[in-house]
Amino acid sequence: MSKFTQNFTAPSHGVELRSEALSLIDSLPVPTRRSERWKYSSVSKLANSTLSTHKGGAVGLEGWPEEINPNPIPELDAYRVVFRNGVYEPTLSDLPIADGIVCMPLSSISEDLARTIFNNEYHKTEWVGALNAAYFQDGLYLHVSKNIKLDRSIVVHHLTDGENVANFPRHYVRIEEGGEADVVVWSNATEKSSGMCNSLFEASVAPNAQLFLEKITNEAGDIYSLAHDFITQEANSRFKAHTFTIKGSWVRNELSIVSVGKGTDSIFNGAYMPCGSEHVDNHTTMDHTFPDGTSSELYRGIMYGKSTGVFNGKVFVRPDAQRTNAFQQNTNIVADRGASINAKPELEIYADDVKCAHGCTVGQFDLEALFYLQSRGLDENAARTLLVEAFIADVLSSVPSKELSDEIKRLYSERHLWS
Amino acid sequence: MLKIKNLHAKVGDNEILKGLNLEVGPGEVHAIMGPNGSGKSTLAAVLAGREAYEVTEGEVELDGVNLLDLEATERAREGVFLAFQYPIEIPGVSNLNFMKAAINGKRSHCGLDPIKPKEFLAKVKECSSLVELDGRLRDRSVNEGFSGGEKKRNEIFQMAMLEPKLAVLDETDSGLDIDALRVVSKGVNKMRSKDRSFIVITHYQRLLNHIVPDFVHVLSDGKIVKSGGKELALELDEKGYDWLK
Ligand SMILES: Nc1ncnc2c1ncn2[C@@H]1O[C@H](COP(=O)(O)OP(=O)(O)OP(=O)(O)O)[C@@H](O)[C@H]1O
Ligand SMILES: [Mg+2]
Repeated sequence: MSKFTQNFTAPSHGVELRSEALSLIDSLPVPTRRSERWKYSSVSKLANSTLSTHKGGAVGLEGWPEEINPNPIPELDAYRVVFRNGVYEPTLSDLPIADGIVCMPLSSISEDLARTIFNNEYHKTEWVGALNAAYFQDGLYLHVSKNIKLDRSIVVHHLTDGENVANFPRHYVRIEEGGEADVVVWSNATEKSSGMCNSLFEASVAPNAQLFLEKITNEAGDIYSLAHDFITQEANSRFKAHTFTIKGSWVRNELSIVSVGKGTDSIFNGAYMPCGSEHVDNHTTMDHTFPDGTSSELYRGIMYGKSTGVFNGKVFVRPDAQRTNAFQQNTNIVADRGASINAKPELEIYADDVKCAHGCTVGQFDLEALFYLQSRGLDENAARTLLVEAFIADVLSSVPSKELSDEIKRLYSERHLWS
Repeated sequence: MLKIKNLHAKVGDNEILKGLNLEVGPGEVHAIMGPNGSGKSTLAAVLAGREAYEVTEGEVELDGVNLLDLEATERAREGVFLAFQYPIEIPGVSNLNFMKAAINGKRSHCGLDPIKPKEFLAKVKECSSLVELDGRLRDRSVNEGFSGGEKKRNEIFQMAMLEPKLAVLDETDSGLDIDALRVVSKGVNKMRSKDRSFIVITHYQRLLNHIVPDFVHVLSDGKIVKSGGKELALELDEKGYDWLK
């Protein structure tokens, strides 16, 4: 057993996946800069730290830090599943109870069920994946039956609260034929916290079903935030994801979508505005394996201060995926001299009858536009604010609920002192 | 009102304004004509405070305030307005939010509360009808997808909204069709008042039939080389600029 994992305790549920992952961890290398996927996002400092998984149970409102609202989007009328340091908080949660909906903490599902649902193989290829599969604590389990439409969003709220903690949330969602759900995954951390939050979100969307996923990282403290989202889409299903990084010292979001049926529709957008010495990495993969699918991806980022960023967008169009229509755009503004981003689209197209468009740019604030606005009497901050709001407007406006997009906008503006 | 003395300005190593003098009294309209590349837009940009243009010598005062000490924002708040020769498009920034921010910027500078929504809307209505700016355009992103003429109309709409002390119109007539020229000129004329001055840059005498200037100047190679009354424009129309060199 490696030094890094010596203080990690594996819960007793989900044994099959866990034991497989445990047997693989030591054989999977800690990624270094030599690996293409991790070239610009180093985890060596993390791997050399000493972290522990949280001991102890739920704390309820009494043990919950005062400065953080257990309900991160107060204006949104939603169900809530709350976790602190990987541990489910029943008294702070509000689960949906309805015919055709099964929603509970992942730790409560039966071992029989646990044996059948996990398809994700991240633990077989990546060290961070094996860590999650070996030590996953708890998370959302959601099953939406045929033609059932969940009436409200489910907010999965995870809080990292403590020093040198290692958290391993793991979520599973299955939407059966014609079903619909919207899940918000909100990652929080307190000012004094440090360590790692290594999460995995796996979902499968049946024919004609629909899943919306909004992921928000708003972590204070000093956390390595590693998220891997893995979505499987069956025929004519719809998936829409939004990934917003509001705050986080080191954030890596991996989103991987596989289309395994005809006519799927995938939309995935994101925004990031790191500052200080923050690091934000978005790795996306869209894999079209069947005909007639469409995908549309739009990521926008503004790099402030000395922040560093990565965007890597892979799109595969496999030989059978004729008439695929894939669109990808990544636009970046490097606002300050010390900031940088490494942006790379990667399209691999093996079918001939396809429409694929992509664009990737790294630029500065438009000085002409700034001058135009200032020449009308806006101060520099107000002028920049208008330009920034305009820049991320397309990403924000496609968020399914206005309450959520307003809250995201409010947090960005609070952080960046928009006027 | 506006006093420009011995103004020299350069871009990079390129000296463009080479000792320009101009005085504009309150309520006056001054037309500036002159060959392409003579420095007319440069003068406008220097007045508005564009940073790329470096003033190496001279003074610019507006009602006793040294403009050259001020940032573009502050100049605007002091009442300088530039209608751009080439207004740019700013996708995603709503024209009206922009105008509201501009008005409130100026108001906070004067120690006033933000404008009331009702008052703002009334003003929008009044000013857009002044230049017959289509409501659809008015409510869109700044100049996004506007035709050349529509952009110019939008500049004058903004001018009306901001009620400047000194308005510099840089070839506002270019790109306007005959009807639009009449409408926009009418709007400008309505805005003329005893404490608002205009510098109107144009190549065409035609505009000056609509906006009748008190003075006409010829700017050539970075200097004013001739000044006169409105007749000078007619003379230039006939003879061109060669005889002035
Ligand atoms: N940003 C700049 N960089 C380099 N040269 C510039 C810049 N701006 C202006 N110039 C040069 O300065 C000179 C004056 O330009 P300006 O735009 O002021 O002319 P103008 O009188 O407005 O001409 P026009 O009638 O064509 O509008 C030109 O030679 C132009 O090329
Ligand atoms: Mg010009």
